[in-house]
Order: sequence, then C-alpha cells, then structure tokens
Amino acid sequence: MQRLMKNTLRSSRWNLFLVLILILELVIFGQMNDRFLRVDTLLNSFDNFAGIAIIAFFVTFVIITGGIDISGGSIVGLASVITGILYQVAGWNIWLAAAAAIIASGLCGLLNGLLIAYVGVQAMIITLGSMLLFKGLAILLFGLSGVSVAEGISKFPTEFTDLAHIKLFGVIPMYLAVFAVMLLISYLLLHRTRYGRYIYLIGINPNTARYSGINTKRIIASTYVLSGFAAGISGVLLTSYLWSARAEFGETYLMPMLTAVVLGGTLITGGKGGVIGTALASIIVGFLQLGLQLGGVQSQYTGLAVGLLLIVSVVVLGVSGMNLRIKGVLNVKKDRGGNQNA
Amino acid sequence: MSRMSQISVSVFHFLRKHREFRTFGFLIALFVIVGIFNASYLTPDNMENSVRSSVVYIIMATGMTFVLLTGNIDISVGGVLGLSAAVSATIVRNGGSIVTAFVAVIVIGLIIGLLNGLGVSVLKIQSFILTLGMNEVLRVVQVIFQGGRNVEGLPTSFQRITQHEILGVSTLSIVVILLVIGIHLFLSMNRKGRYFAAIGDKEEGAVLAGIPVKRYKIYAFMMSSVCAAIAGLIFASRIGNNIPTTAGLGYEMTVIAACVLGGVSLAGGVGSVLGATIGAIFMTSISSALVFLKVDAFWKDVISGSLLILIVVFDMLLIHRNNQKAKKQRLNARVLEIRKEM
Repeated sequence: MQRLMKNTLRSSRWNLFLVLILILELVIFGQMNDRFLRVDTLLNSFDNFAGIAIIAFFVTFVIITGGIDISGGSIVGLASVITGILYQVAGWNIWLAAAAAIIASGLCGLLNGLLIAYVGVQAMIITLGSMLLFKGLAILLFGLSGVSVAEGISKFPTEFTDLAHIKLFGVIPMYLAVFAVMLLISYLLLHRTRYGRYIYLIGINPNTARYSGINTKRIIASTYVLSGFAAGISGVLLTSYLWSARAEFGETYLMPMLTAVVLGGTLITGGKGGVIGTALASIIVGFLQLGLQLGGVQSQYTGLAVGLLLIVSVVVLGVSGMNLRIKGVLNVKKDRGGNQNA
Repeated sequence: MSRMSQISVSVFHFLRKHREFRTFGFLIALFVIVGIFNASYLTPDNMENSVRSSVVYIIMATGMTFVLLTGNIDISVGGVLGLSAAVSATIVRNGGSIVTAFVAVIVIGLIIGLLNGLGVSVLKIQSFILTLGMNEVLRVVQVIFQGGRNVEGLPTSFQRITQHEILGVSTLSIVVILLVIGIHLFLSMNRKGRYFAAIGDKEEGAVLAGIPVKRYKIYAFMMSSVCAAIAGLIFASRIGNNIPTTAGLGYEMTVIAACVLGGVSLAGGVGSVLGATIGAIFMTSISSALVFLKVDAFWKDVISGSLLILIVVFDMLLIHRNNQKAKKQRLNARVLEIRKEM
C-alpha cells in the first residue's frame, strides 16, 4: 500500500511540475501582453492545438503498450478528403459522409493494429509505411475523382462548417468541448477500467501479460483503432473549421503530437504515463505558441521554444531520475549486507 | 533427404544471419519486376543512377546504424542535414572554399553529436525524446541562419563535387561505397567496432565486459551527426542553387525506414551498415521505379507506402515460417538421436 502511494506520488509529481510550468507561462506571458490573460483568448486558443491533443490522448495508449503510431497526421488528411469526396462527388448527406470518414479512419487504425499485433512487425515501421499509404490514398482519391489537389473541396453546407465554430453556452468553443470529452473518455478508459490496467501491464511486460491470460494481441490492436478514430474525428473537425477538405491537412501534426505525449511524462518505451500529462503538455505547448505569437514572434520560430522546452524538461526529469537511482544503488548495497548476515 | 534438409537449414541459417542479403533479394526482385514492364530500368546506367541518387540516404543510414546498434535512435539527422546544407551553401556563396565548408560541416556534426551523446549517456535522457527536441531546435536555427529565405547565387563549382565522374561512374558513389565497405569491416571484424553492437545487445553485459559504454554511445551519436552533416553538404551541392529552409524535412523517417529494411533492429545489437545501404538504395529505387512504370504522380505515395508495408510483413512471415521449420527439424533430430541411443 505504501509503495502504491509512493508510485502515485512519483507520477503525479511530473504532472505537478507541468502545472507549475503552465502557471509560470500564464504569469510570464500575462506580464508581457495583457491580451494573453483574457479568458476568451485562452479558450479560443484551443482551436489551434485541440485537434492535435485529441490524437495525442490515444497515441498515449499506443505508446504505453510499447508501440508508436506516427500515421495519425496522415489519417487526418484522409478523413478530410473522404468527407469532402463523399459529400461533393458521391452526393452523400454531409453528416453521413463525416461518419463514414471517421469509420474509415478507424479501419486505417485497424490495419495498423492487425499488422503490428498479429504479424509482429515493429510499430515504427508499419506506421511509417501506413503514414505514406494513407497520405497517398488521400491524394489518390482526389486524383481519381478529378478534383484538383491544390484547390481542394470547399463548398460545404453552412450547418457543417458552423460545427467547429459553435460556442456552447456562448463561451465554450467547440474544440475545447471536444478536447474535454475526449480527455474524459480516454481518462476513464485508461485509468478507471480493467482494459486500461491491461494496457499498462502489456507495456511493462508483454510476456507476463500473455501468461496471465490477457489477449495481448487484441488489446494492442485496439489501441491503434482508437488512435485511428481520434485522428478521424480530428480530421472531420478540421475540415469543418477550415471550410475545406485537403489531403495535406495534418501533415505538421506529427512532431507536436509526439511532443505532447512525451512532455506529458509518458515513457516512449512503454509501461508508464497517462493522459492527464498529455493534456497538460498539449495545453503548455499551445499556450507557449499563443504567447509567443502575441509577443510578436513569427510562427516559424516557435518551434525553437517547443524543442527547448522538451529538452529542458527531460533534462530535469533525467536529473531527478538520477537522484532516485543513487538512492537505489545505496539500497541495493544495504540489501546485500542483509543477505550476507542471513 | 537429410542432405536436402541440411542444405535448407544452412540456407536458412545464412539468411537469418545475413538479413541484408534478404533485402538484397527484394531489391533484385524490384528491379526484375519493373524491368519486365520497362527494360530500360535494367540498364547499368539506371542502376548506377539509383546508387548515385541514394548517396545522401546511404551516408545518413550508415551513421544511423551506429546509433541503432547501441539501442538508441537519432531523430535529429534531418535537422542536422538541413543546417549543414544551409551553412555549407552560405560559406561557398560568400567565397569560401569547399574545404572550409567541409570542415565547418564536420564541426557542426561533431558538436550536435556530442550534445546528443552527452544527453543520452550522462543525463540518461531517452534518445528518442532528446533528438526529437534537438530536431525541432535545429530546424528553427536553420530558418534563423537563412533569415527565412532560400540560399541563392551559388557558384557552379559547388555542384562539381557530386558531378565528378570517373569512366562514367560518379566518383562520389565509388568513394561512398568504399567507405561503407570499410565501416562494415570495422563494425564486424574490429574489436572496438563490435563494441557498438555489444552495447545494444545487453548494456549491463557490456559494462561488465569492461566496454566504456558511455564513451562509445557518444561516439555513435557523433558518427550519426557527422554523417548527416556530410550528407547535408552533398544535398546542397546536388540541389546546386536555392537551398530551401525545408531542406531535409522528414528525411529522418526515410533513413530509419531504410535501416530497418536493411535488417538493422530498432531494439539494438543487430544489423550492419551494408544492410542499411541496401535499404537506402531500395527506398530511392521505389520512387524511381514509379517513373519507369509511367504511373500517374498521385499513385506515388500509395505505392511506396504499401510496398514498404508488404515487404516488412512478408519478411516477418518468412521468419515465422523458417523458425517453425527449424524448430520441427531440431525436434526430429532429437527424436532420432534418442532412438539411436535406445
């Protein structure tokens, strides 16, 4: 019990650290520019990063099992193109088209999951291939349907394009609402269900998980399906937000997405992490970009701050980890002495 | 019968031990299949051309193999390539000699590699995260260095490095292939060269065997960055003019894919630079094959993505089947032995 408490404290310490960074950001950027601290500015800024964050929540699942999914960005583009083509070329109802796009994204994730879990190829390589494949499919669909890739599809009905611009209760932007709902779903799944515990166990030791009767293959595959669904939702939202369907949507999502997961304290080798950290980290990165832009820094330079933040935070994590290791070494020595006496 | 099975066992052993020859088989298959549709793909000219156009990837994959062998990963190579392309092009444009540019590029590679290596070995930061952050930082440093503009007005003499030929064969390709063979011999025959694979195979074991693990990890990262930096110089020379700020964007993923196709394990300890080189040639041959097959441009990503997936899946199934066969043979042999004894 005591050990459990200690572990919880240790993992929540990183979240505490993230909250501190967030407060520091609010204070510093608030000092620099008083527009930053206005509630509607902060809430609206979710439009810029929530699309990335909702994929990152479920990529966190994948990474905890010890895999990785870098194909999310391409699925965003594919979902957008499928929505557009089904609506404009095939003449479907827009909501039906959007639903079909999300289901297709789930199937994309299923392809990844089946190949990784059942064939046993390294996740990095399969999702690298499918990243190319899905992006290619999006371009191919445009090519076959005769719509110009450069122009994209942009004649959507207003009830669809309004979707991402709705303000719930007049204040909460749609993106923030989706962010919150997806965070809640992923939190409940990962931290409050048996399924979530299995995901951690597979990440810590897949053999143990298999020997204790868990269908590891099915669970690993399911994490990729969830990540595909999330990317599809993100793609449909982005289509609605930008009023058009394009194949290159989501192309720049990969690095910010991985940054959010990793900065959130999830171990890239699996077995440790959580969605709360991912959510906090994506808010930190989003506010950092917002603050720098309000401070007059061009958007192409904000990557420097994001990269430095990532490095500095892992250095801090590394140094604090080193303290723990030193303690561990001392403990081992003590144990050895004890054994000799016995 | 037993002789046949012996041969098949030895062939299997050869293939299992020499994964790079399997990739070579795939490469030959690609050439033959494309050659059936278009005979001009099989001309020596085109084969020389595919080596020539993959030189940048070959160099990067060689460096990456060192890092992958130690069980780490280097995502920052794309950023290193971009920065060194920008720096070398600027030096040459401002009247500096190519030797000066070469030295500058090597220094850049050494410094970045040292930083990566120190972070990974001393601070114990996960290489994936550290180099991911480093990549973001380097991208912005490159944009700042170029002032957000392309590097223009390069003298034509700069292109001569990549255009020089001996007997119609690119000098650069010959030099690079010879160097790769040299490095391959170093990594597989030399005692110190074997250290890299030993570290990735089992780090604790390497420590107990007296290998200076930290130092060799730093060497591996320096090797990777220096290779990427040299590749950057060649990249700039090949483009010749108008070096974009996006130079090398996404190259890291292609290089890692090339290494894995060539049999380098992401888990460390297994692989060779020869395999990585064949993987790199394969990656570029896929895109050149599409030109020869005269397919529409919008098919490109679909075909390269699905080919990559098909090959790794096929390869994995081959391994599974061979493993099962070998297991059965071992079992049979054991049963026979027991019968003889009885």
